[in-house]
Amino acid sequence: MLNAQTAAPGDVIPVLRESIPFVDASGALLQRVAALGRPRRYAAGERIYNAGDEADDIYVVVSGRVEHVFGPGISAQESLKRMGRGGVFGWAGLVLGQTRRFASATALEPSEILCIGTEDLVRALEVEPLEGGAVMDRFATMIQREFTMPALLAKVRRLSGTPLTEEMSTLSLTLYRMSLWLKSPRPYLMLIGFALFLGLWYLFVEVWKLPRFREMPGITTVVKEWLSPAPTYGLSVFTEEYYQHIAVSIWRVAQAFLLATLLGVPFGLFLGWSRRFKEYVFPVFELLRPIPVLAWVPLAIVMFIATESAVVFLAFLASFFATALNTMLGVESIDESYVRAANCLGASRWQVFRHVIVPGALPFVFTGLQISIGVSWFSLVAAEMVSGQYGLGYVINTSFMMVRYPTIVIGMVTLGVVGYATSAMVRIAGDYMMEWRVRELALAER
Amino acid sequence: MDMHQPGAAALTRGRILIEDVVKTYPTEGAAVMAVDHCSLEIEAGEICMIVGPSGCGKTTLLNAIAGFHAITSGRIVMDGETLCSAEKPKAEPGPDRIVVFQNGALFPWKNNLENVIFGPVMQGKLARKQAIDKGRAMMADAGLAGVERNYPGEVSSGMRRRVEIVRALMNDPKALLLDEPYRALDSLTKSVMHEALLEIYYKNKVTIFFITHDLEEAIFLGHKVAIMTTRPCRPKKVLTVDIAHPRDYSVLTTKRFRELIEETSEAVHEEALKAFQAGEREG
Amino acid sequence: MRKPLRSLLSSPVFWRGAVSIVAFVILWELGARSKQWMAPELFVPLKEMLGAMGFKKDYLPWIGVVPAPSTVLIAWIAVLGQGGYWQSWYMSLFRVMSGFVAAMLIGIPFGLLLAVSRTAQGIGFPVFEVLRPIPPLAWVPASIIFWPTQELAISFVTFLGAFYTIVINVLGGARSIDLHYFQAAQSMGSSQWDIFRRVILPGTLPSIVVGSAVGMGITWEVVVAAEMISGGGSQQSGAGGGLGFFIWSSYVGGSYEQIVVGMISIGIAGFASSELLRWLGRYVTPWLRVR
Repeated sequence: MLNAQTAAPGDVIPVLRESIPFVDASGALLQRVAALGRPRRYAAGERIYNAGDEADDIYVVVSGRVEHVFGPGISAQESLKRMGRGGVFGWAGLVLGQTRRFASATALEPSEILCIGTEDLVRALEVEPLEGGAVMDRFATMIQREFTMPALLAKVRRLSGTPLTEEMSTLSLTLYRMSLWLKSPRPYLMLIGFALFLGLWYLFVEVWKLPRFREMPGITTVVKEWLSPAPTYGLSVFTEEYYQHIAVSIWRVAQAFLLATLLGVPFGLFLGWSRRFKEYVFPVFELLRPIPVLAWVPLAIVMFIATESAVVFLAFLASFFATALNTMLGVESIDESYVRAANCLGASRWQVFRHVIVPGALPFVFTGLQISIGVSWFSLVAAEMVSGQYGLGYVINTSFMMVRYPTIVIGMVTLGVVGYATSAMVRIAGDYMMEWRVRELALAER
Repeated sequence: MDMHQPGAAALTRGRILIEDVVKTYPTEGAAVMAVDHCSLEIEAGEICMIVGPSGCGKTTLLNAIAGFHAITSGRIVMDGETLCSAEKPKAEPGPDRIVVFQNGALFPWKNNLENVIFGPVMQGKLARKQAIDKGRAMMADAGLAGVERNYPGEVSSGMRRRVEIVRALMNDPKALLLDEPYRALDSLTKSVMHEALLEIYYKNKVTIFFITHDLEEAIFLGHKVAIMTTRPCRPKKVLTVDIAHPRDYSVLTTKRFRELIEETSEAVHEEALKAFQAGEREG
Repeated sequence: MRKPLRSLLSSPVFWRGAVSIVAFVILWELGARSKQWMAPELFVPLKEMLGAMGFKKDYLPWIGVVPAPSTVLIAWIAVLGQGGYWQSWYMSLFRVMSGFVAAMLIGIPFGLLLAVSRTAQGIGFPVFEVLRPIPPLAWVPASIIFWPTQELAISFVTFLGAFYTIVINVLGGARSIDLHYFQAAQSMGSSQWDIFRRVILPGTLPSIVVGSAVGMGITWEVVVAAEMISGGGSQQSGAGGGLGFFIWSSYVGGSYEQIVVGMISIGIAGFASSELLRWLGRYVTPWLRVR
């Protein structure tokens, strides 16, 4: 070891910021960590530590290159790793019940390395448990991904003072992310955006009374009407009718969406799975598809005696096409080698369908379902506006006819909120059913 | 030449005979010949390496053995049983010959252990619980303990390859058909994977039919190396590697290894050049 | 030209498709001619079962009222000679194009602005995302109130339909450009403007093409509905007509064959305009053509 001309702690902060565990850390935390660091220089070829040594320090490469080789009997996939500036090694002490080095580390060229006492680091992280916990989580990810030791993932130490159960730790992580978000400019820009939008609406319509804008319902009128216990035009959050309209629209979309999913997903799966079936059926499907769903409105009214069924039918039609088409594309997107692999492993045709086709198409199916619920609202509104009693589309249209302009805006906003909520529900259901994909995407993001 | 192969296992199963196989693809106009009167003997328990440039038709040959593609004429026989011939052009894919694919085909929606037990459970050979026990044991044996509950997307690519080989071996196959399995790996990982593959091979003797375009890989691993001509594909030169198994990385620096590379590299280079020029014309 | 035709006629896939379409038309003809809910003897058990589950026959479609394809064809030939039919085509096409072109002209720069400027995105995107779930058709009444003519009102709603899709696609496309392209451009000494013009713009072009094809489909949906909802526009304000109105007036006038004629016409128009866009898209992104 060549000896230490100590670099000022400030110089190493940029290096820490480049190292995986500390990328998101705040300046204050980095300062604390940097203050713990002891810079050391190593000559080319000099051994930094050996496998089995006492695991007392964690090392961060400031400059130069270091080779890290796992000792025998360690179940890492890639046993050798080389790293440069920002590389972190010597983390064995962060693993539960581990006091010895897993690997040996050697400087490949003259290198400057920052040594940080493991216990000192843990104490420094514990000062701010939320942020510190996030740093520890990143250590775990790094050990899994960079050092290819997934087995250790669950064994990385937790800071005392941070909650132990898994749910609680995701909660703390969420809170931490939230605090990061609040520190970024985004929420304030967002506020500016909304303030601009609402402010211009207010000024144009109610203050300056610009031509054309004058006719529109102003924002204060709309809000007053919406929140009024005795609304002028009969619809506000306090009237039962408001909720009846919402409930009717949701019930119609729900019927249409469920029916479209129950029919569209199997239909799409078969279209993608059996070439023969597709050759016979798909041309008719393609023949009907260019006709906009809304062009069906009069025919639907004629075909169904009950208006209710006509409205649901239109919403269903839009949903069905989106669901079936995306499901089919999903099946066709499945890599041929998955099917071949299953055949090799002795799976029957039905087992291939159940274990390969269905799960493989699922990401596309859920994309389709999200589109499906969107277009279902889209056509529902049109259908309700043309024919129908009750429902948010009906509210918008009759309010127009009866010159209850503020109610139009109430109907529009409510539609937006309800539509957004239903599509979020579909997304959450998809994430729940495709844990493998969520995890893959989370890793890809890092 | 049955059992004089150095290091070949004393196995009686997994002998593959490729007799005069032809495969043509009908296209507009003239038919394209992918495999041309190809004959090759692969002894039971032998590692046979097929070397040729990308797109030379070697994968077509593998697909014919595996049963993914039909052949036009000729015959492929395994242990006396005709897999495919002119009368029955397409073999039935089955767990006696398992393919490890170029880009990997672990099901990303099943975790590693579920992938490993897929074969026996689907075939109904093992109850789920027994399969899990066996799968865990085999994974631990291959240095894969600890990743059973991870999804394939969460582990490194080298590890995924090993899981895939374990998934194949769970079925006690006669032959493993590997289609450039290490193509996407960096050379460092590749070297680790070679030793790992040999280690697995020494423990579970199976016939290995291994496609590659890397001559060093071929000579390092194989008992026999078949250098193929490019489009149509046919053995140009079949080489017996007289380096004793078990091998490890020290083989790479031996004189004999270098000699074998020198003997064969010209033949490989010639074919690569042909393939490159043909590819340029296509593009 | 002869060779593709022959290979088409000799392809079993083509004949399977043809068989299914012919079968569909025959079934439609038979269903339309039956003038009954369902063949009574055949479906009694099914009807009873549905009845037991609380279904009324009112809830089921009555195929018998749908005009048969043969009568539709006759009606179609009849309208081909009428100027009003072609006027409807023209009106709808004009509205679609005006709304669509406006959506491209405003949507593409807006999307690119959001993509290149963090501040613009921070201010603009949340508002955009809040407005987006409101279906375009819900804007019809507000639009009629706001715009001086119904013509402009319909074009505005059409514009909205395509606008959201185009912006989302442009933004997504610009964001997904490989970082290496920027680094390559920088290392070769490009200015900010060069990078915008030679990396971001062409890099986003494929998504613009996709977005506009999808947007075109939505545009037709919206035009048809807007024409129906606004009753085709009143004569006084100068608006009116369009294929959506053609369908609606056929419905009001009770000539059901013409409803189907209108539907098919819209199908053709929508399909043709999407194909045109796809063709244009292939033309402006030659590097994506499969060799």
